[in-house]
Amino acid sequence: MKQQVSGRRVPPLARFLVRRVLLAVLMAWGITLVTFVLTNLVPGDPVAANLGQRALGDPAIVAQWRAEHGLDKPLWQQYLLHLQGLLHGDLGVSQQSHRPVSADLAEFVPATLELAGAAILVSLVLGVAFGVVAALRRDRLADHALRLLSLIGISVPTFWLALVAFYVFFYRLQLTPGSGRVDVALGSAPPVTGLQTVDALIAGRWDIFVSAAGHLVTPALVLALYTIGLLTRFTRSAVLEVLGQDYVRAARAKGLPGRTVLFRYVLRSALVPIITVAGLAFGSLLSGTVLVEAIFAWPGIGQYAYKSATSLDLPAVMGVGLVVGIVYLVINLVVDVLYGVIDPRVRLQ
Amino acid sequence: MATRSQTAAVLLAGALTLAACGSGGTSSQAPAGGGGGRTLVIDTSFDLKTADPGRTYEPTGLVVDKAVYETLLTFDGSDVTKPVPSLAESYELSEDGKTLTLKLKQGATFADGAPVTADDVVFSLTRVRDMKGTPSFLLDGVEVAKTDDTTITLTSKAANPALPYILPNPALGIINSKLAQQHGATTDPQDKAEQWLNSTGAGSGPYTIESFNVSSQVTLKANPKYHGTKPAYDKVVLRNVEAATQKLNVQRGDSQIALNLSGDQVNGMPATLQVKKTASANVLFLLANQDTGVSKVTSNPKFVEAVRKGVDYAGLLELAGEGAAQAPGVIPSQLLGALPAEQAAKRDVEGAKAALAASGLANPSVKLEYPSELTVNGLPFQPFAERIQANLKEVGITVDLQPAPVTTALDNYRNGKEEMGLWYWGPDYPDPSDYLAFLPGKTVGLRAGWKAGAAKEIEAAGEKAATAVGDEARKAAYADLQTKLNASGPFVTLVQPSQNIVTAASVTGLEYHPVWTVDIADLGVK
Repeated sequence: MKQQVSGRRVPPLARFLVRRVLLAVLMAWGITLVTFVLTNLVPGDPVAANLGQRALGDPAIVAQWRAEHGLDKPLWQQYLLHLQGLLHGDLGVSQQSHRPVSADLAEFVPATLELAGAAILVSLVLGVAFGVVAALRRDRLADHALRLLSLIGISVPTFWLALVAFYVFFYRLQLTPGSGRVDVALGSAPPVTGLQTVDALIAGRWDIFVSAAGHLVTPALVLALYTIGLLTRFTRSAVLEVLGQDYVRAARAKGLPGRTVLFRYVLRSALVPIITVAGLAFGSLLSGTVLVEAIFAWPGIGQYAYKSATSLDLPAVMGVGLVVGIVYLVINLVVDVLYGVIDPRVRLQ
Repeated sequence: MATRSQTAAVLLAGALTLAACGSGGTSSQAPAGGGGGRTLVIDTSFDLKTADPGRTYEPTGLVVDKAVYETLLTFDGSDVTKPVPSLAESYELSEDGKTLTLKLKQGATFADGAPVTADDVVFSLTRVRDMKGTPSFLLDGVEVAKTDDTTITLTSKAANPALPYILPNPALGIINSKLAQQHGATTDPQDKAEQWLNSTGAGSGPYTIESFNVSSQVTLKANPKYHGTKPAYDKVVLRNVEAATQKLNVQRGDSQIALNLSGDQVNGMPATLQVKKTASANVLFLLANQDTGVSKVTSNPKFVEAVRKGVDYAGLLELAGEGAAQAPGVIPSQLLGALPAEQAAKRDVEGAKAALAASGLANPSVKLEYPSELTVNGLPFQPFAERIQANLKEVGITVDLQPAPVTTALDNYRNGKEEMGLWYWGPDYPDPSDYLAFLPGKTVGLRAGWKAGAAKEIEAAGEKAATAVGDEARKAAYADLQTKLNASGPFVTLVQPSQNIVTAASVTGLEYHPVWTVDIADLGVK
């Protein structure tokens, strides 16, 4: 610990944070480069995909369109312009909606975050609970049942599950509402956060909140099932490992109540692997939403991404790529910081 | 051990309560719409870019604009053979077919209460033409002028008997020019009014736009200032929904109309729902490239004959499902000038083999390109391509299937680089002149490598059809053109797939329309 060189002492946690944030900024720049290059490697002509047939026959219009969208410049110049725009918060204009990509994203991203957020919340609660139960009831019926459930959760393809869930709960049993985020007859709450449930509460519209929460249940559970499976397994093995440690045995031998041992010792140590898995799972939840959104007609970023890609709307595709990349980065950052908070040894590595 | 299990049980119970809380709210859901709320929910797979009439060209955009804007002329129900007055109370085409004179109806108002004037008409139509948006071509070479406050003249350089059939296109909807100009509307490519038009709509139609989102949902509300008959629904929601989900939604009453179900999906619908099956105006066809630089095989006229005789049309029709029809020529059955069903090609394997032998090609092999993920009326291209491959194998032609994503496939198709292609054509406007694009040197002709001057006789027949005036003369001219195209052209027309629309029992008055699919304002409540 005697490694401070200058006179000022920088706390290890702060140094750790600064290093992580700088790294994240560098990665964000990398993401812009990768999305730009990949987007521009796609075969197919955006002009043909966006201009009408007759307009395509007129070279003047084609040239004007190219110039308007900066496609007449060499690729490296296009990238620099793109980067310059990004620094000013300008993601370009979508070629299909003719609106700023940032405005489009502001509309779709919250819908996806609400869905993925609900899913991660459910998976954390259920996955950790199931994992703990399975570990405590090791090799008994509950353990076998939960392990089977987690196996199913991990193996079943999400889109298939989405179709089945929609059919069973919405159509057959008539338990859940249908497509979209909220009952169309109610309309939606004035957007503040973009999260339908939160906005409904802000507006004091209980009816909209109930409808929005109801619409969230099936798609969120479908999305969550995989993560629940994953978290159950990881929590189970992490808890089992900790349970075998000497200090846990010592704590128990001292006569501490089981609940205290579980929360203060066992779960706290098991938290690091759980957070890792949850962080990674959140990323895969975002990509999982593409298909789930299609089936539940959820107006999120998945549908926007699909539509942009199929109409070669390059600025929109880059915008989506950037946002998803940055969400991953932020999650990784949060996970890293949480490590540092939970386990001081990590700060020094 | 007891305490451990208790803890776990508490955790589990908490989690389950949380999950149950969420789903508890849903039981109070009443099905949306229905008769009482007067909200109509329409599920459709969005093909939508804009609601600006001057830029609209996609099917969903036309549904929206048909409800928000009025055009000078329109069609009554699904009959597209006779344009009828809308904002214009009457029209007259000069004998040479070059001048169309329209008398404006009095008393029509925009959603803000302003009267619809001749100036609005001139501005709107000039804007569409000169803004160079996708539908600009509809008015190529047409001069728009106001003769007096109630008279508009449209003058074309060449005879343009199709103009009355073009004017009902919702892209030619009349906008409130003063209001639109305040929001950036101009009559050149610098126009900036699109975003504003998407947010509100500036028409005189039965509906206005409440909210508009190109990838998820469009909400329309009844225009309180509408001068015509008030529409039956106060609010109409169009949602972007996958076909499989559309089916479940309409069956459960979550929506009242599903627009994009395939023939298979509408089989076995409960009797409480109405299913409308109509042959769509889309025509699936094969093209055989005539450019010897692209293919020595497909440019051989005897080869094309072998393909035309080798395809099993009845089998393709079966694939397309109930409600589909064989396409005897490029012009679909709904339009003036369509060939009668008796003239449709029939399979003749022996004849096909003879033609192939006469071509001098031994065991030819060709590449067939088509879009892999595009569907037409809910039907994918793949099964058709496979069936054609099998059909032609019996004749002695090897077909190499080359599916590609539509954006990639379109590049080759538009540049005339495909050896053989499987595509479809939907009418830009319901007039046979739209199908002159299949002639040598024209849009689709060039895609088949068919350059101007390549088929003098067919081009002469096309010229005659283009300038014919009067329904009878036009019918005969277009029939003759198609007969000649079928005899020696590079296109093999296959089927018109079925458009299947499912509606709740409560919805009345639905007609499939080849241009705007559905006129929302025509729908009633039972």
